Amino acid sequence: MSLAARYKCPVCGADASVAVTPELLRQAAERGAARVAARCPRGHAVLLTIDQYGYIRSTLPVQEAARPDCEITDKAPLAARQRLQAILEKGNATDADALLLEKAKAAGWVICL
Amino acid sequence: MERIKYVLDNWGLRKIVPHLLRSVGGFPALRLFSLWEDYYLHVLIKSMLQCMECEKPPTSFAKMALELARRRRVLDGCRLKAVQPPKRPYPQLLESYFHMLEDVLINRACDLAAKPLEDVIPDEEAAALYQLFVSSDWYSAVRTAIHAGVGTPKRGRALLIGAGTQEPLDYVKACQVLNTRCDFAALEVDEKIYRDLERLAAKYGFTAYLGWDSVKETFDIAVATNVLNWATDPSDVFAKARRLAKELLVTQGVVEGMSILFLLTVALRAQRPVSWREVEGLARQAGWRLEERYAKYPVYIAVFR
Repeated sequence: MSLAARYKCPVCGADASVAVTPELLRQAAERGAARVAARCPRGHAVLLTIDQYGYIRSTLPVQEAARPDCEITDKAPLAARQRLQAILEKGNATDADALLLEKAKAAGWVICL
Repeated sequence: MERIKYVLDNWGLRKIVPHLLRSVGGFPALRLFSLWEDYYLHVLIKSMLQCMECEKPPTSFAKMALELARRRRVLDGCRLKAVQPPKRPYPQLLESYFHMLEDVLINRACDLAAKPLEDVIPDEEAAALYQLFVSSDWYSAVRTAIHAGVGTPKRGRALLIGAGTQEPLDYVKACQVLNTRCDFAALEVDEKIYRDLERLAAKYGFTAYLGWDSVKETFDIAVATNVLNWATDPSDVFAKARRLAKELLVTQGVVEGMSILFLLTVALRAQRPVSWREVEGLARQAGWRLEERYAKYPVYIAVFR
């Protein structure tokens, strides 16, 4: 069973929460703190530092790199192109985007070097 | 008369998804959506008939498409009726859905009429299209709104049956909307999907199960979302859910009122259509009692006890 720790997104200020697993607490107890990556509801990537009691000690925005090494192929249907383009330009905004990019690669819609 | 019946049959939608209903334009917009779907079905059948004989549909997909067109009165026997595009545009929110119909069905109509489905849409592409479909803004908004409207997260620990990867994400959003604790597990029978689900489970702190036999706990509510189209034995879903949960929320696209959307799900590997009467019959057989029915078609939404 996991606990949830609340934080404010350092980019947009949205209220968000992250699951604090027993594994994370164990890591924090061993090392003094544990780090976990999360996304706020608006899709901003954040790096959180959590202490052994499950409290969030710091929140840092993560600059995501665009994927200039990837391109959309002719196989990609028109309905997917706009969304894939946005994902490649801005990075995966959500988990659903990340899954779509994975499946798109498997289907040959996107090729990455 | 038909319009009044539609509104009455789906009256509960006003109770559970009033904001979503208002944002797309209320019941008239749902009716407009249905008219656009019939127009797209007309275009698909017209294109398919240029590549096959109506009397002898060569593939199971073609046969299913013709049967659906007859049920929707787009086809009379083998005579294609004239269907004009509606004068009003479809709601903006649904644009990606109609683009997908063009890409997946209409642009491949001839191939779908003549070749096995797997040759026209390989498995990897079907998986990518499925992900594109379920994670689209409109689908995700509908799923989140239904859970928030029915108040599923407030009913206790939930089991999302045949969850896929999108349902847990939409469920988490519904918990945020209701500002309530998210306590749920997700069950998948497909090993490939389970691997993705496992990653999400680690991130969001829910339990992921692979196969019914691996579930070793009971739940306050089970949630079956569009699983009956994909299940090899739909009655089994109700019977197994009965053993694991006190309540059952079913949201299921049904054949009544459904148009070309069903063909899209078949192209993405759904197995069979179901009707809302069949859903209630199967639930009753498994010992479930209908507590509240919110909508009958094209999406059946009800809670059983």
